[in-house]
Amino acid sequence: MPPKRTRPKSARQVNNASLITPDVIAKRTKRHLDELERSNYAEPGLDVGEDEEESGKSFKGRARQVISDKRNLNLSGNSPAAKKKKSTMNVRTALLYRKNLATLIEESGIASMPSSIPTYLTARTPPSSYPPRLICSVCGYWGRYKCQKCALPYCDQGCEAVHVETRCERRVI
Amino acid sequence: MKLSNNIVILDNGAFSIKTGTTSSKTSKKNTNHPRVIPNAIVRSKGDKTTYFGHEIENCRDYSSLHYRLPFEKGYIVDWDAQKAIWDGVFSDQILNINTTESSLILTEPYFNLPNIQEVYDQFVFEEYEFSSYHRCTPASLIPYGTLFNTPDLLSSPPECMVIVDSGFSFTHVVPILNGNVVWGAVKRLDVGGKLLTNQLKELVSYRQWNMMDETFIMNDVKETCCYVSENFSKDLETARLDVKSNPIVQEYILPDMSTNRRGHVRQLTDIVSDSDQILFMNNERFTVPEIIFRPDDIGLDQSGLAATISVSISLLPEDLQGMFWANIGLIGGNCKFPGFRKRLLSELQSLVPEDNEIVIYECNDPITEAYHSALSFATGPHFSGRTVTRAEYQESGTTRRKFRDWKNPPPPPPIDHRGIIEDDLTQTSNDERPPPVQATGNKSIKSRVRGNVPSNNRPSRR
Repeated sequence: MPPKRTRPKSARQVNNASLITPDVIAKRTKRHLDELERSNYAEPGLDVGEDEEESGKSFKGRARQVISDKRNLNLSGNSPAAKKKKSTMNVRTALLYRKNLATLIEESGIASMPSSIPTYLTARTPPSSYPPRLICSVCGYWGRYKCQKCALPYCDQGCEAVHVETRCERRVI
Repeated sequence: MKLSNNIVILDNGAFSIKTGTTSSKTSKKNTNHPRVIPNAIVRSKGDKTTYFGHEIENCRDYSSLHYRLPFEKGYIVDWDAQKAIWDGVFSDQILNINTTESSLILTEPYFNLPNIQEVYDQFVFEEYEFSSYHRCTPASLIPYGTLFNTPDLLSSPPECMVIVDSGFSFTHVVPILNGNVVWGAVKRLDVGGKLLTNQLKELVSYRQWNMMDETFIMNDVKETCCYVSENFSKDLETARLDVKSNPIVQEYILPDMSTNRRGHVRQLTDIVSDSDQILFMNNERFTVPEIIFRPDDIGLDQSGLAATISVSISLLPEDLQGMFWANIGLIGGNCKFPGFRKRLLSELQSLVPEDNEIVIYECNDPITEAYHSALSFATGPHFSGRTVTRAEYQESGTTRRKFRDWKNPPPPPPIDHRGIIEDDLTQTSNDERPPPVQATGNKSIKSRVRGNVPSNNRPSRR
C-alpha cells in the first residue's frame, strides 16, 4: 500500500510541535502571572488598556490634570498641601510624571550594586526544589493528563471536553 | 530635641492605611484602634462618583468598581493618587491634624528603592512640612510591640525573631537580630492578597459567573470563604463529593444592589429566593490560599512559604538558628486565613534541622499589629533619637544614612551577641555615625538563657 497522507500528517505534527515548545509555555505562564498582578481587568485583545489611559494623558501636552487637586478638603496648618500653595519642584515633578516600577528599578541602579549588598532583586526566594504538581485547569482536581495541543492539565474526559471547547489553544500565543 | 506633642502613625500599606495619632485629642475615642482606610481611589460606574480612600464606605453600588492604586507590586509609583489619599487622611475627615506641628512615623516596603525613598522625604518635608519623621519597615517596629509577649515571661521581646509579613503585594520573611533587620537573610515571595483575589476571580469566572470586574466583591468572598487546608490531597478528594455530603462546599449569596444587602455565606436557615445569585465555593476555598505554600500550582517558579523561611534562617549565624526557629511571628492580612498557622507549623516540622523546636506567634489582628507596635515605639524613650527633623533635611537635602535600611545597615556588634547587650541611648541621628564601639541595639534586651526556652506545648496566642 502506498503511504497515504504522510505529508499532511507530518505537517500537522510540525504544527503540534510549534505549539508546545517550552518557551511558548513559559511565555503563556508569564502572561498569566502578569495578568494576576493587574488592578483592573482588561479584555484580552485590547492592548494594555490601563496603562494607555494614563500615559495618553501625559502626551496631551504637559498641562496634565492632577487628580489630587480635585479634592475639596480642609487641612489645618500652613503646609503647601493645606494652603493649596504652589508645591516645590520635586513634588510637582513626582505628581505629574508617573513611572512604572520597571523604570524605577532601572533608575535606582540596584542591578549594578556589588553583590555584598542585598537588594530587591537578590531578595527573591529561590526556585522550588520540587517539581510542580499539576492541577486540572477546568475543575481543580489533580491534573493527571495534559492536553496534546496546549499542554494544560486536565483530570478526566469530562474536563477534557470542556477544555477543548472553551480554552484550548486560546491561551497559546 | 523637643518632641512634638502629636505623633502621627501612618502604616502605609498597599491595600489599606492604618493610621492614628498619640495626641490627647483622639483619646476620647479608643486610641487602641487605628483608622483603617483603603489605599485606593475607586470609581463606581453605577454611582458615577469617585471615592478617595475612606469615602468608599459611602458607595452604594459595589459592582464593576474601577480601582486606581498608588502601589504597583508593593512600591509607590502613583504619587498623585497617594497624595490625594493622604490629603484626605490628614484632613478634618479622618485625623484632623496640623501636619506642620506633628511628627510622623511612616512605614515603607522592604527593600524600598532609593529613588522612591527620596520622594517619600520630599512629600513629608516639602509638601506636608512635618516637623520630624521616622521612616521604617513594618517588621522593624514589631520588637516594640507585644507580638512575642507571653504571660509567664517578662515582657521583653526575644533577641532573635523571624517576622513573616504576608500582605497585599507580596510576602517577606524578615529575620531580626537585637532589634535590627538582618537584610542579607530577608527573602521575598511574590504572592500576596492581590494575586490571590485575582486568581479567585479567574477560577470563578471560568467555572460559574463572570466576576473579572468585581474586585471588591471577590475580595470579600476570599476573606469570608477561603481557608488554608491542612491536608491538601484529602480536602481535594472531599471536595469531589456531591453537595449533600460535602462539608467543604459553601454557598456565597452575592450582594444585591437593589436591596443593598451585603454578600454573605448561606446558612442552613436561610431562605434563598430565585433572584439571588449564588456562588458555589468548593475547592476554590482552599486552592487559592494554597498558592502561598505552593506557588508552582500557578506556574510561579518560587519556593513556598515554609521553604522560604527555611532558606532565610539558613543564611543566619549557625549558632543562633535554633533561637530563630523558636521565634517566628506572623503579621499581615493573609495570616488571617483560618488554618494558616497550623499548616505553616506542620510544613516547617519537616524542614527544621536537628529537631529544633518551632514556635509560631500570632496576634489577634495581624493587620494592625505593626500599627500598635509603632504606637509603643512612639510613646517610648527611643523615638526622639531616631527621627530626622525638617531642619536637618533642609540642611542636608537628604535623609540618606539617617534611617537604617538595606543599604544602610547598622555596624555589627563587637561583643558576643549571647551576652547582655548594653543599652544605646546615646544613638543619635547625626550624619556622623558614632564609632562602632557601642552596641547597636536600641533598647536594653536581656539575653534569654537556653534553659528558659519554653516547651512546644505552649498554646498559641489568638
